[in-house]
Amino acid sequence: MVIGRVTSLSDIVRLGFESLSVARENLGELEKLLGSSYQRCESAFETSASPDRALTQLLELSRNHPKLIHKALAGSSGPRRLIAILGASDGLAEYLTRHPSELSLFSQTQSLPSTFTLNCESRLDLRVSYRSMLLAIADWDLAQSNPSDGVVVVTQALSRLADAALDAGLTVARSELLADGRISQEKSENTKLSIIAMGKTGADELNYVSDVDVIYVAAGPDEYAIPTATQLAQRLGLVINEAAVEPGLWEVDPNLRPEGKNGALVRTVAAHAAHYKKWAEPWEFQALLKARFAAGDQGLGEQYLLEVKSQIWGDRERSNLVQHARQMRKRVIEQIPSEEKELNIKLGRGGLRDVEFTVQLLQLVHGVVDETLRDSGTFPAIDALAEAGLLGRDDALELQSQYRLLRVIEHRLQLVKLRRAHLVPTDSSDLRRIARGVNPRHSADDLREIWANSRQEIAGLHDTIFFRPLLAATAALSPGEISLTASETESRLVSLGFTDPKGAMRHLKALSLGMSRGATIQRSLLPVLLRWMAEGMNPDGALLSFRRLSELLGDKHWFLKMLRDSSGAAERLMQALSNSVYISRLLEYTPESTAWFADESKLRPTDRSALEAEVRSFLARNLGFEKAAEGLKFIRRREVLRIAIGSTLGNLKVRQVAMALSEVTEIYLGSMLVIAGRKSDINLDVCIVAMGRLGGQEIGFGSDADVMLVYRDDGPNAQSMAELLTGEFIGLVKDPILEFELDLDLRPEGKNGPRIKSLNAYEGYYQKWAETWELQALLRARPMFGSQDLRDAFTNLIDSYRYPEELSDKQLVSVRVVKARVENERLPKGIDANRHLKLGPGAISDVEWLIQLMQLRYAGSNPELRSLTTLDTLASLVKLGHIDDADSHVLEDAWILASRVRSAQVLALDKASDELPIDRKKLEAIARILEFEPGSATELEERYLAVTRRSRAVFQKLFLE
Amino acid sequence: MDKQQEFVLRTIEERGVKFIRLWFTDVAGSLKSVAVAPAEIEGAFAEGIGFDGSSIEGLARNSEADMLAIPDPATFQILPWRGTVDPAARMFCDIATPDGQPAAADPRNVLRRTLAKAASMGFSFYVHPEIEFYLLKSSSVDASGEPVPVDNAGYFDNVPGGTAHDFRRRAVTMLEQLGISVEFSHHEGGPGQNEIDLRYADALTMADNIMTFRTVIKEVAIEQGVYATFMPKPFTNHPGSGMHTHFSLFEGDKNAFFDPAAKYHLSNTARQFMAGILRHAPEITLVTNQYVNSYKRLWGGGEAPSYVSWGHNNRSALVRVPLHKPEKSQSTRIEYRAMDSAANPYLAYSLLLAAGLKGIENEYQLEDETEQDVWTLSYQERRAMGIEALPQSLDHAIKKLEGSELAAEVLGESVFNFVLANKRNEWADYRAQVTPYEIDQNLKTL
Repeated sequence: MVIGRVTSLSDIVRLGFESLSVARENLGELEKLLGSSYQRCESAFETSASPDRALTQLLELSRNHPKLIHKALAGSSGPRRLIAILGASDGLAEYLTRHPSELSLFSQTQSLPSTFTLNCESRLDLRVSYRSMLLAIADWDLAQSNPSDGVVVVTQALSRLADAALDAGLTVARSELLADGRISQEKSENTKLSIIAMGKTGADELNYVSDVDVIYVAAGPDEYAIPTATQLAQRLGLVINEAAVEPGLWEVDPNLRPEGKNGALVRTVAAHAAHYKKWAEPWEFQALLKARFAAGDQGLGEQYLLEVKSQIWGDRERSNLVQHARQMRKRVIEQIPSEEKELNIKLGRGGLRDVEFTVQLLQLVHGVVDETLRDSGTFPAIDALAEAGLLGRDDALELQSQYRLLRVIEHRLQLVKLRRAHLVPTDSSDLRRIARGVNPRHSADDLREIWANSRQEIAGLHDTIFFRPLLAATAALSPGEISLTASETESRLVSLGFTDPKGAMRHLKALSLGMSRGATIQRSLLPVLLRWMAEGMNPDGALLSFRRLSELLGDKHWFLKMLRDSSGAAERLMQALSNSVYISRLLEYTPESTAWFADESKLRPTDRSALEAEVRSFLARNLGFEKAAEGLKFIRRREVLRIAIGSTLGNLKVRQVAMALSEVTEIYLGSMLVIAGRKSDINLDVCIVAMGRLGGQEIGFGSDADVMLVYRDDGPNAQSMAELLTGEFIGLVKDPILEFELDLDLRPEGKNGPRIKSLNAYEGYYQKWAETWELQALLRARPMFGSQDLRDAFTNLIDSYRYPEELSDKQLVSVRVVKARVENERLPKGIDANRHLKLGPGAISDVEWLIQLMQLRYAGSNPELRSLTTLDTLASLVKLGHIDDADSHVLEDAWILASRVRSAQVLALDKASDELPIDRKKLEAIARILEFEPGSATELEERYLAVTRRSRAVFQKLFLE
Repeated sequence: MDKQQEFVLRTIEERGVKFIRLWFTDVAGSLKSVAVAPAEIEGAFAEGIGFDGSSIEGLARNSEADMLAIPDPATFQILPWRGTVDPAARMFCDIATPDGQPAAADPRNVLRRTLAKAASMGFSFYVHPEIEFYLLKSSSVDASGEPVPVDNAGYFDNVPGGTAHDFRRRAVTMLEQLGISVEFSHHEGGPGQNEIDLRYADALTMADNIMTFRTVIKEVAIEQGVYATFMPKPFTNHPGSGMHTHFSLFEGDKNAFFDPAAKYHLSNTARQFMAGILRHAPEITLVTNQYVNSYKRLWGGGEAPSYVSWGHNNRSALVRVPLHKPEKSQSTRIEYRAMDSAANPYLAYSLLLAAGLKGIENEYQLEDETEQDVWTLSYQERRAMGIEALPQSLDHAIKKLEGSELAAEVLGESVFNFVLANKRNEWADYRAQVTPYEIDQNLKTL
């Protein structure tokens, strides 16, 4: 079969059809119906978005309206234009089916309409005339060889058309209400209503189908103006969009008005102005950027704009503006269902909103002083920013072209069904239709690739645009770069959260000046590094630390390479520097450790046996005592730093951190004891017994190391030798850089007793003197260093005391009384007990005492309760039915949170304290380490107080039970 | 400087205002006032006025002394009672921490938070209180130890030329001058007892209004040489002063409590809200009725709502569903009758609202209504019908609040802790008294 010039199925493929045999059949029928016009149609399919859809639709129209079709196809451009519309838009094809006389468009000259007057006889007439204009716009749009070039004028035309629809809609609404007798002639005449366009319409950048954001302003006699105007506004919504034979156009969305959905629909100018003075949130001002008069009473609209728009640029707080805006943006992204994140062209990452967001942010930061930046649309704003020198030429061009491309894709998506649509289709055939709509030569895969590139470009541009100019002020400019004045740079730094912009500029200068390789790389990296710093708590501190690190590491190849090639590493480093004073400080002592940020495996705690091997070989080298001790300290600092970084970046669980820190401490103590032995030349079998949290392997950052020392008695001078050795040992373990607090107070007789005792002395003491609470302290005793023999002997000794077969009533009372006394006496005066992380109600000590009391009572007969670890014991107590599930969760939550807050405090502030800080900044810093959202100081505080309040109630119930 | 702030500055200048009172409320519900000179107002708008929070009850935690009071220009009013010689004005303030966050312990902020929660569920909360108080000759007592009322009239009595009548007229005028609309005012049941009903408003505005109201009443009393008291129960033998409050929830313009098809026109939302209030009433009574003396009113018989029950027009019920004209869907509402005039309105409304919302969230079932006068039922009957009692004393109320997750969550941990600590002290002080009752009953016989 030969149809026109088509002879084979491959010809049909070449024309772009997907269903070949169906197309062949249809083309055949079309040729019969069209006769001589057919030839001109055939080639037109080639450039249509969906040749299959276009063919089906054209066939249908030709069957039913042969004359009209014939006329439409008569001109030279007619076939291409009609087929372009039918291929791109099912919605417009249906419109032509409903109103075939509209086919006459295609025999007229093609042009983009610029003035719009719609028919306001009735709502149906209005809608038909609206779509007639929409068809003309689409006709022009689809004929552009490069639709990106035309997108600005298309969006303007669509906005004008929306204005016209609102204006005509208002006329229709008035006549409907008058006809229904809902309002009187008098009220109608005396009530002024003005419609302010917001959002995309306001910016003159509307797309094909979108909610049209409006705000209503009214004026007139007090008694009825507002109710009358409200009726009009409500009716307008129905006129435009209520379902009818000719479908509605779009939703008129008045929700950007003051108080949103709950606010009055219509207000007077004064009432609007009062809202913005008093109540408005920052985002509402951002929204106002785009307000303009759209329809209704123009004078009133202008008056509104004059009153309200001046307030956008009032002297509100602008520091941290960027962070707030970014948090909001993040929340929007989080609300998109995860399967749509990659597909949402409007809200997804690297989508339209990201461009708009970047541009608006720059406008808000710099628009305060520079009035030329207050333009409402995204397209003109980009130009204005470039003009003002706040955006580099190249960046501006790139931003424009990416944004235009996205808008074209969006338009093609919406044309298909004439519906609001922002999801790029996953179905290949549907996607192909969009791709060909953008460019007839594109395949579905081409579009996928373009869209992915564009997403990446846009995400990167945000950093370049906002942050790179900060360097330009200090560094040599490359052509096309912009230069901010000192005060522009300062206001940008302040808006990022830097408190000392002058200092920051000095550091930036130092980092980026010069022609060395390092400086060159820094210059290109700093923009994004600054962003990451600014996302943390302390950008000033982070920048200073980073400068110091850069100076220490100089031009080291791996350092620059890591910053340049591994964005994950650089981001993690900046996060850590900004959020943790502890890490920043330790890094300066071991700058090489910076390399770990590039290698996550290095951020896992070093395996215990590897660490022991390192220490063993180190000790074997006989370096002299001082050097050996220094070396061990270095190892400890290095390992603690490793764990600190691991836990700050959220890779390590609480339990892992505690275990790792305990192991490092154990190895440190053990090896120092060896050196102490060598140094004093005393050879005794000494055992270090870990106590308290170290015993349970549950220490945190900045925890004391509780220990007791015991030796095997073998000679007359043993005690004095042991004491000598102990003195050496205590001297050696001190470290001024990473403080180490060795706490021996749990030993027999406490502070008054000798610091070390023989095994026999311990035995004698426990037999005769020990108080019940001292036996309780033994519950977490763990001999961890010394000969196996001595460790076993000590364990055997204490087991009979700490796991008594039965706890006498007297002992029971004594534990309870001591606990009460501790609460009473040991809590520091002058602090709020509820904030004491250790001794406060419901805090660590309540939970531990409760568990330990149960151990004393029941572990004698239940060996599974003989665990050293608080949470393991708690779990066993639940299993044995001593504590119910709900109570155990309450206790666990409190114990974990209090422990984590103590550790986080050290990491964030480099200061150990047992008090939940009162200072808001400190609370915030701790909250960040604990991975709360920014701005959570109060939330952390409230959570802590709530969790401990509940645990106190459980303690009260069970401790005296 | 925005226009509203400019307006305030201009008015101060034009009216020759000599000083401005910055008002805020402490956790106990007392109005606090810092007077500042007009010159300081501009700075106050920009940065707030720093003050020592630790000197204000419950406001700041230990050693977190620095707080900021930020005046709300919308609440600016010239105070009508100081005459025109040296005019004074007032503004309510929001309290902030030094980093500019709303202070957790600012009662206004507690209410704001709770209202925001309601808003997130789509509701706005309207209240309408009926505030009772006594007019006395002075704050001193007579020889028998009783206060002396200004008259001996009763419910709705018109006392020609009486103090109370003049008083109410003057007070209502003054309230209207301060922008507070009065719905209704009349003589109440006790001698010298009066009631003024405020026109309904959103809960935050109303709480501000109640604070203003108490001040106005006190000021008018001083003007007229009498003494006004909001003490819950000043007389053993006369009714106490309550603050019955009507509540409704609106969704946009629609009364969410109204359902034309339902019994009493009460929507399911209203029933769940009521169920929430009833279930949580005992645990929040410490806040709605915060003094030792409050329990003398709650358990003083008469119409006091001592038992957890509801009814249509049942004046012994804790929650009453008032009659309204059938065509007025907007006025469907419920009335909570336990609260007294001495409560901190910000905190009390927060808790009542939160209790109601919890009922909605968790779809509580409303128990059947109680048709009889609950007071006439026997103990056994009440038990059989499952009617719980409100706390019998401050001590009992403390115990109830202690266990309340709802209250801790709504008030925030610091306010919650403060309220408990404060009330434990009050109870300890009260218990330490040897009362005239004991002397009278025991001294002569033991």
